[in-house]
Amino acid sequence: MSQSSTHPYQSRPGIRRAAERIAFWMLRVCTYAVLACGVFVLSDVVFKGARAVFRSEFPFVNVTFFTEAPESLHVFDYEGRKVEMGDREFRAFRHRESQKAAAENREPLPIESQSFVYSAGGILPCIVGTVLLTVGATVIALLLGISSAVYLSEYARQGTMVRFMRLAILNLAGVPSIVFGLFGMGLFVIYLKWNVSLLAGWFTLAFMVLPLVITASEEALKAVPKGFREASLALGATPWQTIRKAVLPHALSGMLTSSILCVARVAGETAPIMFTAAYVVRDKLPWQGLEHFGDFFFQGVMALPYHIYVVSSKIPQNDYTQRTQYGAAFVFLLIVGLIAASSIILRGKLRQRQTW
Amino acid sequence: MPPEKINSVAAFPVTFRPGRYAGLTGNQVVRGFFGGNAIVSVVVLGLITLFLLREGHGFFGQNRRNLEIYRAAGLEFVDILKRQEEGFGSLNRTLFEIRLAAGREKEPGSPMATAAELEAFDAYASELGDAAGPLRELVGELVETASAIKTKLVMNEDRLAERQHLLATGRQSEAGSIRIETIDSEAELRPLLESRARHSAISGSLAKSLVELSERMPSMSAPELQVLLGEFGELLRDYVASFPGIERQLAEWRHDREVSIFSAITAFLFGREWLTASFWQDWYGVLPLVTGSFLISLIALGLAVPLGVGAAVYVNQIARPSERSAIKPCIEFISAIPSVVLGFFGIAVLGEALRKVSHIAWLEWIPGFPIAERLNALTAGCLLGLIAVPIIFSLAEDALQNVPKSFKEASLALGASRIQTVVRIILPAGISGIISAVLLGLGRVIGETMVVLLCAGNRIAIPDFSAGPGVMTQPVHTMTGIIAQEMGEVVQGGIHYRALFAVGILLFCLSLMINLTAQRILGRYRLLSS
Repeated sequence: MSQSSTHPYQSRPGIRRAAERIAFWMLRVCTYAVLACGVFVLSDVVFKGARAVFRSEFPFVNVTFFTEAPESLHVFDYEGRKVEMGDREFRAFRHRESQKAAAENREPLPIESQSFVYSAGGILPCIVGTVLLTVGATVIALLLGISSAVYLSEYARQGTMVRFMRLAILNLAGVPSIVFGLFGMGLFVIYLKWNVSLLAGWFTLAFMVLPLVITASEEALKAVPKGFREASLALGATPWQTIRKAVLPHALSGMLTSSILCVARVAGETAPIMFTAAYVVRDKLPWQGLEHFGDFFFQGVMALPYHIYVVSSKIPQNDYTQRTQYGAAFVFLLIVGLIAASSIILRGKLRQRQTW
Repeated sequence: MPPEKINSVAAFPVTFRPGRYAGLTGNQVVRGFFGGNAIVSVVVLGLITLFLLREGHGFFGQNRRNLEIYRAAGLEFVDILKRQEEGFGSLNRTLFEIRLAAGREKEPGSPMATAAELEAFDAYASELGDAAGPLRELVGELVETASAIKTKLVMNEDRLAERQHLLATGRQSEAGSIRIETIDSEAELRPLLESRARHSAISGSLAKSLVELSERMPSMSAPELQVLLGEFGELLRDYVASFPGIERQLAEWRHDREVSIFSAITAFLFGREWLTASFWQDWYGVLPLVTGSFLISLIALGLAVPLGVGAAVYVNQIARPSERSAIKPCIEFISAIPSVVLGFFGIAVLGEALRKVSHIAWLEWIPGFPIAERLNALTAGCLLGLIAVPIIFSLAEDALQNVPKSFKEASLALGASRIQTVVRIILPAGISGIISAVLLGLGRVIGETMVVLLCAGNRIAIPDFSAGPGVMTQPVHTMTGIIAQEMGEVVQGGIHYRALFAVGILLFCLSLMINLTAQRILGRYRLLSS
């Protein structure tokens, strides 16, 4: 060992060597600084949000946070204590107080309360809206995207049209999400008169992720070896039979896995749904109070990202309001993060498994 | 074999006779279905262009009308006078600053100027302030006249629109009942135009008194103050020298000079003011928003490019395989953090944290510190940097991955050290991929909405670049932010609504340009490596 380490070409310690090590260390610091920033943001939201979402006693979860709509929070002094109440509870309480006062034949005690909008109750309608928006947009995007990818990778021959399509896909991927929002507003909300509705949101979001889905699906199709197709065609199968039996089954898992990342994008975007699908507040859940089945698609919903935008920009930051803000951000991050993480992990697994 | 035999091959045992649907074979139908889906992306891109233009193209016509009214109502005329008045106001402010400096204590207990000097100075200042009294009075009167004419013109405009609407819906009689006054602009504007004589008298006497005042400056014993006063005298003379120009502008002004569509477009692209719902005149100039967007992008890229490219080089060239497979998905995961959560983080934590840090005494040498506003370009830029890093990282890493292995091996075999190989061989070979990664990161950062809407401070003004690098800590507004913020509050079809769509068109063109450039660079790179 000691002999081999003194060979003539061995790098000797010196200024150059030190400079190299310093440079490498700087690059390492860069990398870990990025990771640290990410971890810091995540942990801040997670730790502060967990306080709003979890409880120390049974059932360990803040149930009202997941089962109620947002309402105003009232904070007031009562018998020398600070009391916090949601809007409905507060009204019932005031009613009780005035009855008690009437029974005792005295004026009801004046209750001076500070109120903060959207800071009590829960975020059920927002979660429901986000899930509906995500599912619908994903279905549309996957149908359109996977079909396009099949055409581009299996059928299309190089030509002007295909080059044009690829250019369009690449450019569509770079269009800012707010421009998609404007487009959705111009086409669906105004021109087609769908108003602010689920359907308008679905299509806007689906078009936004379409290029991502197409690129991801095409990659999965390209990963299927050419021999599979050639063998199938040689056996006399038609192109469609080849695709259905020999290509898609092998590519589908890859397509879906990569597309999950697009689902995270759909769930996480705010700008496209601001003018097309999201309401600031709506007291009914989407399936309540429908006259026709068709009305379901033509109603606006509350959405979690838009709710976070509203609560963080429209109401002041203080101890009372921050709890629900962090809670909503935490739940949202949890949903999006789980989707994204599953995509990243599954993709890693898939790469290891494919051995053709 | 005779040719007849070949024809009889039709009796091949496995014959395949495709069924036909509407004259197409099954395979053609399937192919058509997939092809139709593939066209969707082209169609969507076309539709985006179409609908942005459909809603936005009317803006330029409306803005032209807006500017025409501005001219016809004489607001433009009054604005010339207003500028003269504002020039005087800024002179007054300069004088006030000198007064503040004079009262400041140089050494504890002794102000820079003596009490007698201060008294003389105050008398001088008040005399100067009074000199512009008649001008202010005139401007005040003319503002009212012009506003009245504008109200009339706008009302007429509304009536015209209503009548056209009624005619279009076929209600002739109702349309006939709407009376449209004919406005005699000449007559209406006469008070304005006649005021020119009065103005030249006023400004003549103002110039005389200002010149007289500039000759008898109060003298100060402190040399610093004397220098300041000298500068002030210079400003005063410049101001007086600008009077003939103003009078010429007023004399040349014509209410019926045509406003070309070209000037409506330049007023949008290069207008320095975005002012809506004002009682005087609405301006739709996109320049403050564009500078805001680019300032924030610059900050974001300034942070993200070194970090992203550095991380890419580290992960691709230096890190051990196990480290590499752990870091890559983690950085990818950062890109999954929704931008609205980052924006919320900026409001709740980062803005306040940055401000606290900037108030630490020994950090005051950093330009722009201490930060006055919690939400500013720097806060938004930092968060956008975090958004751009994963994009730049993964694209740059791909580019480095695509550099043929033989390059590296050859370099190492020639005896180059690892750092030499990275800097001289790997980076130049992957440079076009890295540049396009940076461009795509820029595209993403410019198009990002929620973070800038929540954290940029939303002040619509061109940031003050005279502050040097300190400009980074000023609040700004952005193109994406203004669309998201104001779209919910505007009347559909109004000029403001169309202006927001025009901003959308600008944004769309910008992103296409960035994207195409990135692709062109990447395409050239592919040619080189193959």
